Amino acid sequence: MVIDSTRMKSLADRLAGDEVKGRSLWADARKRFFKNKAAVGGLIVLLFVLAFAAFGDLIAQYSNEELDFSIMGQIAEKGGPSLANGHYFGTDDLGRDLFARTVQGTQISLAVGIVGSAIAVLVGTFYGAFAGYVGGRTDNIMMRTVDILMSIPYMFVLILLLVVFGRSIIMLFMGIGLISWLDMSRIVRGQTLSLKHKEFIEAAEATGVSRLTIIRRHIVPNLLGVVAVYATLLVPLMILTESFISFLGLGVQEPLTSWGALISEGSGTLNYGTFWQLAFPLFFFVITLFAFFFVGDGLRDALDPKDR
Amino acid sequence: MKTKLLLSTILGVALALPAWAATHPVTGEELAANQDYTYWLLDAIKSMDPQINTDVEGSGVLRSLFEGLFNEDQVGGLVPGVALDFDLSDDKTVYTFHLRPEAKWSDGKPVTAQDFVYAWKRLADPEFASEYAWYMELMQVVNASAIIAGEKPLDELGVKALDDNTLEVTIEAPLPYFPQMLTHASTFPVRQDVVEAWGPKWTDPEHMVGNGAFMLKEHILGEKVVMEPNPAYWDADNTILEHVTALTINDQNAALTRYLAGELDRVQIPAGQYPRLAAEYPNEAISVPQSCSYIYIFNMDPVKGPAALQDVRVRQALSYAIDRDVIVNSVLQGGQAPSYNWTHAATAGFEMPDIEYSHWTQAERDAKALELITEAGYGPGKPLALTLNYNTSEAHKKIAIAVQQFWKKIGVELTLNNMEWKVHTDKMQNQDFDLGRYAWCGDYNEASTYLDFFTSYSGHNNGKFVSEEYDRLMKESKTAENPNLMYTAAEQILADQMPVAPIYQYSLVEMIKPDMRGMSTENLMQNWYLKDMYRVAQ
Amino acid sequence: MFAFIARRLAIAVPTLLLLVIFSFLLMHAAPGGPFTSERGLPPAVLANLNAKYGLDQPMWRQMVNYVWGIVAHFDFGPSFIYKDRTVNEIIAQGFPVTLTYGAISFAVAVVVGVGLGVSAAIWHNSWLDYLAVGISIGAQVLPNFVMAPILVLVFTLWLGWLPGGGWEGGQWQYVIMPVIALSTSFMASIARITRSSMLEVLNSNHIRTAKAKGLPMRKVILRHALKPAMLPVVSYLGPAFVTMITGSVVVDMYFSTGGIGKAFVDSALNRDYAVMMGVTILVGTLTVLFNLLVDVLYAWIDPKIRY
Repeated sequence: MVIDSTRMKSLADRLAGDEVKGRSLWADARKRFFKNKAAVGGLIVLLFVLAFAAFGDLIAQYSNEELDFSIMGQIAEKGGPSLANGHYFGTDDLGRDLFARTVQGTQISLAVGIVGSAIAVLVGTFYGAFAGYVGGRTDNIMMRTVDILMSIPYMFVLILLLVVFGRSIIMLFMGIGLISWLDMSRIVRGQTLSLKHKEFIEAAEATGVSRLTIIRRHIVPNLLGVVAVYATLLVPLMILTESFISFLGLGVQEPLTSWGALISEGSGTLNYGTFWQLAFPLFFFVITLFAFFFVGDGLRDALDPKDR
Repeated sequence: MKTKLLLSTILGVALALPAWAATHPVTGEELAANQDYTYWLLDAIKSMDPQINTDVEGSGVLRSLFEGLFNEDQVGGLVPGVALDFDLSDDKTVYTFHLRPEAKWSDGKPVTAQDFVYAWKRLADPEFASEYAWYMELMQVVNASAIIAGEKPLDELGVKALDDNTLEVTIEAPLPYFPQMLTHASTFPVRQDVVEAWGPKWTDPEHMVGNGAFMLKEHILGEKVVMEPNPAYWDADNTILEHVTALTINDQNAALTRYLAGELDRVQIPAGQYPRLAAEYPNEAISVPQSCSYIYIFNMDPVKGPAALQDVRVRQALSYAIDRDVIVNSVLQGGQAPSYNWTHAATAGFEMPDIEYSHWTQAERDAKALELITEAGYGPGKPLALTLNYNTSEAHKKIAIAVQQFWKKIGVELTLNNMEWKVHTDKMQNQDFDLGRYAWCGDYNEASTYLDFFTSYSGHNNGKFVSEEYDRLMKESKTAENPNLMYTAAEQILADQMPVAPIYQYSLVEMIKPDMRGMSTENLMQNWYLKDMYRVAQ
Repeated sequence: MFAFIARRLAIAVPTLLLLVIFSFLLMHAAPGGPFTSERGLPPAVLANLNAKYGLDQPMWRQMVNYVWGIVAHFDFGPSFIYKDRTVNEIIAQGFPVTLTYGAISFAVAVVVGVGLGVSAAIWHNSWLDYLAVGISIGAQVLPNFVMAPILVLVFTLWLGWLPGGGWEGGQWQYVIMPVIALSTSFMASIARITRSSMLEVLNSNHIRTAKAKGLPMRKVILRHALKPAMLPVVSYLGPAFVTMITGSVVVDMYFSTGGIGKAFVDSALNRDYAVMMGVTILVGTLTVLFNLLVDVLYAWIDPKIRY
């Protein structure tokens, strides 16, 4: 999965074209966004998944860790989805309620996706904006550093980090977030460069506003469109990365789980007559990734309307 | 798929009958035309050098590429290998082995006593730094410890060649199970000239010279090992398999799928799948005892361990509250035995003490556990927080999760801490844990391989259990006429003091193609030899 | 151009050095060492082993020796776990495998992806377009560790068409499933990028002019549109390459191909410092070179760019 650079660039060019005219751009965008069926569909799915993560526990008949001893040992026969015994999604190999586990896995995966993407966006935006705005030597050094970091096989480094510091959610957030801000910083820098010479910035400089304030007050708000789109599209990438880490067995600690862990467990036992163990988590995983994808795409098209 | 397989088998048999009427030389069974065998390796073989190898899978291959003084038969009894027999001195410390004069290396040269002397010295050589050097110490070969520590020259190792066919080994003290230890791969002979000519490269298929029934043809890391019969082997006429392949498949479920697709002849069954497969393939799924014991170690180190675990009542309560029947019947489901002691129950000569709590019902155990832990000042009202370390594995995880739930009932809040293997081991060895998962597999079929573990002077006693009485018993057992009496008493101490919570005793749970024979599954150590295997016509 | 290449290569050296130092320190900071084993080695044996592998020397010394060995002799040292082998041998055995299935996957992904993307753009808003978009989104979100067991189940167990794993020197029937598992998501990404970039180009003025001049569509696409439309695809190839190496871990694990992906994960878990460093350096170097190649290709396609 990848973020489409052509369309990001097109969006960035447009947003840098003129100063954001307050409400009108966003109001227009909103109108266009809600006309886009795929995007609205995605948004509805996202709301559904969020509600599932937030309130699923209220519906679940079991906790995510208790073992159902009446089912344990006969999962293929008795552990299937059933309304009668309250295991709506069936159970996992140990007789734990898969519904409760999917709810809890959704919470973790969404958290990793959103927090990871937020870290990437924050770091990337400020780094890029700073480099672009200050310019000159500083810019040069900062961007060369990005070049260097881009040549590092990040998944290898992430594996090393998790091996060395032990697995923890914090490490996962940091690790996943810190490897994805590089692209962001490049886009933001490019846009900052084109914003820098706009009249409103020069006016602010002339009145003696400090650099940091200019970056904060004038540059960053103008970057908001690109950042929002990028952040939305980054979330599914983060979720995919987390799932790979979980597949390697370096993800969150039991009894906590994540989509990646559930899917990886489910796909291992695919041939043992417990198809639901893969189907339910994979369903939520796929629809969420789709939804983020459509929403991000829709957001971008809304901000940068072209016939596509 | 199934019909196709059946058809090809019938065709194969029909075609084979007239051309191939071979029968097994001993049993007289009719042999199949196809004598290829493919089995599963979880991981790549790390080294093909007998004195470097450290793992079970490597030993499996080495037992066929090399041959030690003795081999094991189908049920684990000693049978002559390179040695025909031995004389034992009156003080039981000097063994004189008479080697088989017809034993040959794969390049045709005779196997001599000097080859053993070279290999054994190599194992103890501090410069060579074998990770299995301690096996020489375990065998109590004279001066082994001092040589490994660099305090004595290598020449003083208690092993010498009296002539080409006579090997003399001197050990420090009588050791009743010494001959048993000689089937271990690290005692296999190697050729000095070959090792010196090629250096570490001598184990490459093109350089390797072995004295086993098979020769190495190919060894591709992460993919496969291929072996073929060694025509120079002294018993080559009775080697039946013609082509053996070991495939590395890192995923247990993938391996099973490939077995079912007919690509493998032997594979391990993942936890929980045995009942289904046994019902579906009654002639292929097996479950037999294997000499390993699975435990949770309590960290009893007075400084680094949690204070609560110093209290024997807490340890007993924790052990009692584990419902082992649920673990073996519902989690593992592979015919493993619930365990209330340390030594594997099927170990040769071992007599189980009468362990009281093993006869109770689980309800009684739970009640007693609750009573004990309340007495100790904990319990549901005042939860005891502990952390369990375990290494990454689907089965370990499942057991840990189950135990976490069992202990909730007696007010223990168990945090699970899953780590990869190296970190887990490192933390265990530094007493940096509360409770740790551990499993020990016997090196030889005698109870001391288990019981030595808990002596205060053992290098493996990671929970730092100390009992003078226990140490005394184990020391006495080394020279006793019947050491099994001491072993039983030692087990009783473990049951009373509970330095570990025993959980289950291993079974080997496997799928084996129904026409395979000679698989040594009745051997508790699971030491198999390719030279014993064959396929029968069906 | 040459100045540009030279400058990029000059950056590569500190990049790799940084990578070496970073992973070296990280690795040594990890609990447990290559000789941490279940049995717990007697101190005397451990000391002998550490002496044999130079682990008893101070860290900086080990690092200097290591780097010197590479620079002077191209020697990455012996493996600490696979003691019969050197790192050079392990890489020499595994890398060609990874390279083979990687290159084929790459080619498949690019050819099929670009084809799909271009068709979707030309017949914009037709059923073909929707199908292409649908496939490409669907294929992107299915993790390869889910796809691999499904492939084995279907093609090996149920249909009996393909062997469930192994490499056998790269015979075709052993290559198919690894390539499908590895290439699908890249193919999908490339299709999607090509489609949007092609649409952008087709709407641009010079293509409109070409069309207005009455040139046949096929010529317009091949002569004028394809090349500029490839720019974003080319810039995607760099990151795609790195992700593909990561994907080789899954391929090696499920299909027992014996490539370097698994070697890396194993070496990190086993603390096989030498193999871990060797693979990291290899992958780092390849990444740097590949990014450079991508940039050169980019400059060649887009004459507007001056370095």
